[in-house]
Amino acid sequence: MNTSKRRLVLASFVSLGLILTACGDDEGASEATDAPTTEAAGESTTTAAGEESTTTAAGGEIAGGEVFVTGSSTVEPISVLVGELADELSGGSLAVTVEGPGTGDGFKKFCAGEADISDASRKIKDEEAASCAEAGVEFVEIEVAIDGLTVATSPNNAAVTCLDIPALYSLVGPESEGFAKWSDAQALATEVGTTSAAFPDADLTVTGPGPESGTYDTFVEFAIKGLAEERGKEDTARSDYTQSPNDNLIVEGIEGSDSSLGWVGYAFFAAEADRMKAIEIDAGDGCVAPTEETIADGSYPFSRSLYIYVSTTALAENPAVGSFVDIYLSADGLAKVSEAGYVDLPADRIAASTAAWDAAKA
Amino acid sequence: MQPTLSPGAPTLSVSDLRGSPKRLRRDKTMKVLLFGAAVMSIVISALIIVTLFGEAWQFVSGLMDTIGLGALVDGGAAPGWYPRQDRFDILTIVVGTLIVSGISVLVAAPLGLGAAIYLSEYASPRMRKWLKPVLEILAGIPSVVFGFFALRVLGPDLVKPLFGTPGNTSLLVTGVAIGILVTPLMASISEDALRSVPSALREASTGLGARRSTTTVKVVIPAAVSGIVAALIISVSRAIGETMVAALASGRLGQSPRTFDPRDPGLTMTAAMAQLAVGSDQVVGSGLAFQSLFFVGALLFLMTLGLNMFANRMVGRVRNKY
Amino acid sequence: MAVTASIRESSAAVVRASLTGGKRDVKGMLFAAALLLCLLTAMFTLTILLWDVVAQAIPVFQKRSTGFLTNDLASSPDKAGVSQGIWGSLVIAGFVVLLAFPVGIAAGVYLEEYAKPGRLTSFIQLNIRNLAGVPSVVYGILGLVVFVQGLERFTGGRSVISAGITLAILVMPIIIITTAESVRAVPSGLREAGYGVGGTRWETTRHHVLPYAAPGILTGTMLAVARALGEAAPLLLIGAITGRLASPEGQTVVERLQGKFTAMPIIIYGWSNEVNKPGKITGLTFEDLTSAAIVVLLVIVLVLNAAAILLRNRFEKRRQS
Repeated sequence: MNTSKRRLVLASFVSLGLILTACGDDEGASEATDAPTTEAAGESTTTAAGEESTTTAAGGEIAGGEVFVTGSSTVEPISVLVGELADELSGGSLAVTVEGPGTGDGFKKFCAGEADISDASRKIKDEEAASCAEAGVEFVEIEVAIDGLTVATSPNNAAVTCLDIPALYSLVGPESEGFAKWSDAQALATEVGTTSAAFPDADLTVTGPGPESGTYDTFVEFAIKGLAEERGKEDTARSDYTQSPNDNLIVEGIEGSDSSLGWVGYAFFAAEADRMKAIEIDAGDGCVAPTEETIADGSYPFSRSLYIYVSTTALAENPAVGSFVDIYLSADGLAKVSEAGYVDLPADRIAASTAAWDAAKA
Repeated sequence: MQPTLSPGAPTLSVSDLRGSPKRLRRDKTMKVLLFGAAVMSIVISALIIVTLFGEAWQFVSGLMDTIGLGALVDGGAAPGWYPRQDRFDILTIVVGTLIVSGISVLVAAPLGLGAAIYLSEYASPRMRKWLKPVLEILAGIPSVVFGFFALRVLGPDLVKPLFGTPGNTSLLVTGVAIGILVTPLMASISEDALRSVPSALREASTGLGARRSTTTVKVVIPAAVSGIVAALIISVSRAIGETMVAALASGRLGQSPRTFDPRDPGLTMTAAMAQLAVGSDQVVGSGLAFQSLFFVGALLFLMTLGLNMFANRMVGRVRNKY
Repeated sequence: MAVTASIRESSAAVVRASLTGGKRDVKGMLFAAALLLCLLTAMFTLTILLWDVVAQAIPVFQKRSTGFLTNDLASSPDKAGVSQGIWGSLVIAGFVVLLAFPVGIAAGVYLEEYAKPGRLTSFIQLNIRNLAGVPSVVYGILGLVVFVQGLERFTGGRSVISAGITLAILVMPIIIITTAESVRAVPSGLREAGYGVGGTRWETTRHHVLPYAAPGILTGTMLAVARALGEAAPLLLIGAITGRLASPEGQTVVERLQGKFTAMPIIIYGWSNEVNKPGKITGLTFEDLTSAAIVVLLVIVLVLNAAAILLRNRFEKRRQS
């Protein structure tokens, strides 16, 4: 009897011990991690591992500490890459955690003081800025990249190659609720003045991100807002489409039907280009397909800026936030934009971002 | 054991049987501690009920103050569950949940019951010794693994070609995956019920010349029927509460149009909840959006509670019978 | 037992053979075959699932070797690893051991050894049975409101402490129920012996009942830990991280416990939703990595489950002999 009691005690201690040693092991392991897995970015910089403060490419000191980034899942990959760069440059002392619940949810958290930086795929709205002000959270807006919102359909959909804004409004806008076929939208499209080719008589399955996403807001702004205001309607998309926060499911939805319609960020489209066909957009100057060139020079009408919003309130207390943004705006940091699949800012807009940041720091 | 008699004591008296005060005090302390642990379960239930129903009531009263309770059943052209746009068509997620749990029972009931009958009535003790642990291991696989399996294998390779679903994700594939997930549970509870049928009944039936299959169908199963019903209900309750498979494989997360077609992507109550909080109450939408989480949670809680209490009563009935 | 069973079987066979005139019972055999088919389908699915996952995971372990186990979450499938998930899951298991074990076992012992039958006792028993059936996502709401928001000062908010306490509460009913069952199975002769030599109730429980019930209790606790390790839904609501999670250096244990966290099932969920772009160096995708993470989680969970089953089987055997 005594032995089995001892066994019970022993077992609980063994399991406790396991946990404790595992914690210890992990600390050792994460230090050893960087050695075998060198990354492309690691080559360009030499890091003094273990140093508390090292210098960035921009020449400033790196302050150690923790930074929490929330916000847009579109910008999340850039911030994750820059976070990894910061980890490398600081030898692990600058610890950046990134999540991507969506631009809207991100601003909510940011303005409640739950995060240091909010990634955003659109500008902050007035009411969001007001709630930040109310909570005493001051911030600076920094543009970091350009993305082209891509309207896409199935590669098998030969009937549709180019759409204009009235066409998109009548297919996805607030008045389109209940339209189950492309042709159902024809009357409305004609009424609002489309010049696109006639819609096919095929099922209309719409897939896109939901309202927590900045990509949704951007689409509404580009394709719906103007006409909705003109016609006195709410500036929202129809609500009876497949909304998904998961880009893979959006692609699946677009791929799943031969007459689908959907929209995603350009980086995501580029990664999955064999499963979707980009629809050209006509905003009055002819049909333009989204490519890196048309997005960068602004000739593609649905190109948008991506931002990070930095809380200067958090910056005052936590110098690590400053170091992270310094790295973000360094040459190595901005190189992550194209690595994540987005389009680099032109030099003058980089200068503007850097100036805004320098002003906020001072 | 400490000796209770002092060495010098010549005779025993009644007071010697009382034990030392120290030991008695210790006994009392332990009793209080153990009782405290048992009461903890009531505290936890109270916490759950207070948090759920307090905020759920806030949601309902908020709804009454703004858009009216009628919003819970959307009568518009395109009804759906869009909490972030203040559209709360409760039918969308309740029907989604019912479709998924219905399909999962269609899968789990025959598989689980068949396995249970085989294990209890047919398998030799040696076979049982090997088969039972395998089922138990299946029961130990985390549900998120089934979600991944449904998303990557069951959806594209089984359900889509077989039933012609438009995409890889659907309510149907979610139901099938959850059905497989609850099969071991179904099997284990029904097997307990079948084995608790006294062998005298089987012997009497066999003695009358009945075949084993006849004995099983006409004698054993009717005798264990309330246990089998309990197994079914507990499986339904488990399927209703399953979150991760639905979050990965049902094709919708957080919001969805209403659908009655299992081949469509749809939303369950659990998957509606999985996207509304992520570690903070700061979510886009009016205050009602976040509070709808509690309303759905309370509804889910009541549904599973009702089913479980009913099932417990059924299990008790078998136990008392024999 | 075994002898009477075999006599019963053989005499039944003789009687049956003479009754059926030696004809084969085709219907009965079909019925048995159909039943076996049900059982085999369940097992076949298990085999496919494991086969699929393991086959996809093998290249990950070949190409990434131990890096997969020791690396942090990362943006590229060439670098991403599960160390933070293993850490988070083990800490959660630690909370289950520290909180749910003592309270759950104590409650189970109280219900069987101390509680007098009455209204309060049957209410507690009913309550525990119902708690065991509450969906895990509801426990997530409890965790979010009580531990992430209410006790933020102590738990650090979206931390592994909040997750650990929530999951400890979630599995506590399982421990209570299995403990009560194993204690109930202790022959009353053992208790009477304890009381007979003058032991108090606690002494009898501790020295006579608990040692006898220990293997059963241990089985239940292992199953509870396995359940806690695989549970993802409450962690979603509590706010486990799926993007990038920093591992800051020079933190105290408390700081690390109060910091943001992730866990194995959450990593599996997050990676299931990742874009399937192969990594430049290894050519692995996040889907491959998800399979490998599943293998890691399954190894931990199944080892615990298998240990629990073996333990119970040995225990049952000892009882019978």
